[in-house]
Amino acid sequence: MTFRGDRDKDTVCAVSTPHGVGGISVIRVSGPQTFSIVSKICTFLPAHPESHRVYFGNLVSTNGDGIDEVLVTYFKQGKSFTGEEVIEISCHGSPLICQTILGQLVQLGARPADRGEFTYRAFMNGKLDLVQAESVLSLIESQSQQAAKLALRQLKGQLSSKLEEIEDDMTWILAHAEASIDFSTEGITVVEDDVVQSRLRKIEAGLKELVATFKVGRLLKDGFRIVLTGLPNVGKSSLLNTFLEDERAIVTDIPGTTRDVIHGDTSFQGVKFTFVDTAGLRDEATDLVERIGIQKSYEAQNESDVVFFVFDIEKGLVAEEIQILDSLDPQKTFILANKIDRLGGSEPTSKLTETVEKALKNSKFFQKIQDPQAFFTRRVFFVSALDKKIRSEVLKELVKEFADLQVENTVLVSNARHFENLSRALENTQRSQALVDQGMGAEFLALELKESLIAIHETLGKRFDDQIMDRVFKEFCIGK
Amino acid sequence: MANKKFDVIVVGAGHAGIEACLAAARLGVQTLMITTNTDRIGYMSCNPSIGGLAKGHMVRELDVLGGQMGVAADETTIQYKRLNSSKGPAVRGTRVQNDKHLYSQFQKDALYNQPNLQVLQGEVKRLILENDLCVGVVLQDGSEIFAKATIITTGTFMNGVMHIGLRQEAGGRVGDQASIGLSDQLAQFGFEVKRLKTGTPARLHKDSIDWSKTIPQGGDEKIYPFSYRSSTQLKLPQILCYLTRTTELTHDIIRGNLDKSPMFTGIIEGVGPRYCPSIEDKVTRFAERISHQTFLEPEGLNTDLIYLQGISTSLPEETQDQFLKTIPGLENVKVVRYGYAVEYDYIEPTQIWHRLETRTIRQLFLAGQINGTSGYEEAAGQGLIAGINAAHSILGREEFILGRDEAYMGVLIDDLVTKGTREPYRMFTSRAEHRLVLREDNTIDRLADIAARIGIVSQESLDILGSLRERRQALHEKMRSTKIYPTKDIQALLATIPSAEMTKSLSFEELLRRPEISSSHLEMLNFTVDPDPNVTEPVEIEVKYSGYIKRQMDLIQQSKRLEELVLPEGLSYADIRGLSNEEKDKLQRVKPRTLGQAQRISGVNPSAIQAIMIHLKGHKKLKEISVDGQQRTAGADDILARG
Repeated sequence: MTFRGDRDKDTVCAVSTPHGVGGISVIRVSGPQTFSIVSKICTFLPAHPESHRVYFGNLVSTNGDGIDEVLVTYFKQGKSFTGEEVIEISCHGSPLICQTILGQLVQLGARPADRGEFTYRAFMNGKLDLVQAESVLSLIESQSQQAAKLALRQLKGQLSSKLEEIEDDMTWILAHAEASIDFSTEGITVVEDDVVQSRLRKIEAGLKELVATFKVGRLLKDGFRIVLTGLPNVGKSSLLNTFLEDERAIVTDIPGTTRDVIHGDTSFQGVKFTFVDTAGLRDEATDLVERIGIQKSYEAQNESDVVFFVFDIEKGLVAEEIQILDSLDPQKTFILANKIDRLGGSEPTSKLTETVEKALKNSKFFQKIQDPQAFFTRRVFFVSALDKKIRSEVLKELVKEFADLQVENTVLVSNARHFENLSRALENTQRSQALVDQGMGAEFLALELKESLIAIHETLGKRFDDQIMDRVFKEFCIGK
Repeated sequence: MANKKFDVIVVGAGHAGIEACLAAARLGVQTLMITTNTDRIGYMSCNPSIGGLAKGHMVRELDVLGGQMGVAADETTIQYKRLNSSKGPAVRGTRVQNDKHLYSQFQKDALYNQPNLQVLQGEVKRLILENDLCVGVVLQDGSEIFAKATIITTGTFMNGVMHIGLRQEAGGRVGDQASIGLSDQLAQFGFEVKRLKTGTPARLHKDSIDWSKTIPQGGDEKIYPFSYRSSTQLKLPQILCYLTRTTELTHDIIRGNLDKSPMFTGIIEGVGPRYCPSIEDKVTRFAERISHQTFLEPEGLNTDLIYLQGISTSLPEETQDQFLKTIPGLENVKVVRYGYAVEYDYIEPTQIWHRLETRTIRQLFLAGQINGTSGYEEAAGQGLIAGINAAHSILGREEFILGRDEAYMGVLIDDLVTKGTREPYRMFTSRAEHRLVLREDNTIDRLADIAARIGIVSQESLDILGSLRERRQALHEKMRSTKIYPTKDIQALLATIPSAEMTKSLSFEELLRRPEISSSHLEMLNFTVDPDPNVTEPVEIEVKYSGYIKRQMDLIQQSKRLEELVLPEGLSYADIRGLSNEEKDKLQRVKPRTLGQAQRISGVNPSAIQAIMIHLKGHKKLKEISVDGQQRTAGADDILARG
């Protein structure tokens, strides 16, 4: 009988370096049969290789055909990334060689690894905590330098150690709260309220700080999603091409050319930006396809981090555009006054600026803005799709405003699951403080603390919860 | 003895033995109690009191489930106290001082008047085993008595050794012999038998105490008896206890004589209770404290003996005399019986099932201190569960187990059989993760239906329980449906409490949620509550703390998912990938019933639970495939390919 549990006893193999031609490729083999399998094709290995030592030799097929000159690194069970016996074969970076070696390994009894399976094994063998396992995943998937740095910081356990600090404080208070209940007849004061309060304040501050980093953390991890919106034919697609530095959208003079949502990724200052061009929003769109496109535009706006509202400066802000603006959230809106080149220059005249300001001032959109002066200086750009410089000008401002990158060494929360848990723990902590103030029984304080500890433990994977594990390991293709 | 055949034999007549006998007999099976000394039935070997934090909870639970301890304690109370009364409702605990002789007498009468039950004086030397089945016992005189189930409740008597100073003698309690043979037989059968230690303080003569140097401590006026069957009017006159404290001189004397302490010279190997340390322990471990409190507690109404709470010791007599005289009020004290320590055998409790039957010998049940617990209440709780399960095994009924979310008794047994214990296990409220719903006040709501289901209580008792619950529901309903309007008079009355003005009409339930309003205020606002505190108080608590109670219920629901995941019997942990050797050993030994229980085994990590889950999911998938009618053996890859 074979079942899932047995599958974990397999020896698995996979190419651990990116696909395609490179200088070298690394094939990782992990599992109890690793050495016995690999030694059949790497006959140069000694019978008892040393852990963390590199061996050089010819990798030869079971038929005796030479395949490649390779470097083999051996990791003893318990001392490897996965916690199992691991061998890494560095071969020359050709897909053909990699495939041949993998074929040999499979023929000898290894199985191709599932996506994320090495990490999964590392977690199962206690080599990584849950946060670290998740960061490995993020690291593999990170699409920008910043995201990779963030994932690496989490892998090093920075978030975990910060959480463990908070956990320590919570446990300390909980222990004292419990003692004050169960040993109340001993005639001793276990702990004074103000000591508890000061610890709670420390926990609150720590959690608040972490929770506040989520927005930036998520933006660094997933990148910014920017939607270009505006009336048809104001030049959104041309701007998109400028931002993406390529010709992705079809640009014509015919209004309504863009009917579907067009995506494109670019990277700037190590941060990923996903641009989404949408169908222009116009009331008289009669064509069904175009109307569906407009519907999608609204959806895209809601899902975005930032909206670039584009209008034609030559025509000025028309009533319809004010209507669209009124539906937008000023917090995430930038205004791009496009086609400045048509007015014969790259800088707007003060008259033009005034006209735009005046048109805006009557809008509901404007009334929602907290600091209008700052909005005009930071959020309104006069641009031309022909001017390549606008890309960096606008994106620089955007990064400055949303993801102040002075975060190099701070711990960031970038995972939605962690964010939810920590927000819950923060609420519990704040309620705890109120309870102590009101002089409510220590048993209620204990409940709040236990709930917040559960949230921390869930984050760290110190508490088993089938639903949470399912959610995390869905990405590891486990249990399918 | 004419009859040599019984359904159930209970060995021991302490707090566990009494409950075990009565439960079995009340369920209608023929029961025999065997004790070495019928004069010491229901004897309080240590402190003359019942209840306390978390312990009071268990006495009430026992009571609703047809147990005996609550009634006996109520009948013989000479001082009543509700502990933690200033704290929240879930952690209040009832403790009473008892007249220990009357208590013992009351229990003896209950046993002698119980149909289906006989009491025999004698010492059990060994069990009669047919392979792995226990079929009876052999007495000291060689006579054999047979039974379908045997419950051992020998307390501290198995290979008991008493220590005073460096002197030792065999025995489980002063004046009583030890019970030799039984634990050796169990050890030979393969049981892991270990040693524990406990101790008791000196008993003093009341006329030798200068009471003027102590502080009198009275009991409470308002009485919430343990038993729903008891009257709120206590039967016996109420006495005072007295508070005094050790001094620096006391501590100096103790420190200077540690070389005469069996604990500190290594003669005693058994582990003592961390939570009930001897005075030697206190002085050594908390060296910075210059004084420890102690209560002088009369052992009864008509006795000269005073129990010295908190000062248990095994120092030699002359040292005890010396240090006691440095305590204010005891300058001229006369010791009637010196303190001593007892070392005894216990069976590592991971060797028994939740139903308290041993895992290796069928129809053999263990209850009380033999399972590593300390305390009368812990013992009694196990006695009841063992008695019910022994009877059930004979009557062909299913095993009786209380959940951790149902009762402290459930927490107690689950902890013992899951985690084992290395020191005498005492119950604390903090051991119950669902504490907010395991309150003294809602014991009836938690357990009355269960009591009715197992049929252990009389119809008369069921009627009282039913009526109490109906009155509670009616009062709660009235609070919900009756409105109070913001009239001038009402606002004026609220101001006297003081409580904020009402801005609109409210139900009395809503008004009662205000922190400053209590049920006594409702009377003032013309809302009549039930005069029985057993009715009004639980309703008030449900109303006031409904938010927290609901959250606790949510947590229970969450943990239920794992509790309901029953692990297949005979699951081979050695085959599960991702478990450490230590985890495999522990799981194999405890054989958890559910994934929830597996998670509570110390040293079993969350990743192990994940591994078991994945292992089981694989099994399940395989079953699903064969249900589909696909007869071929499905390999793991096939299963995975199906997604």
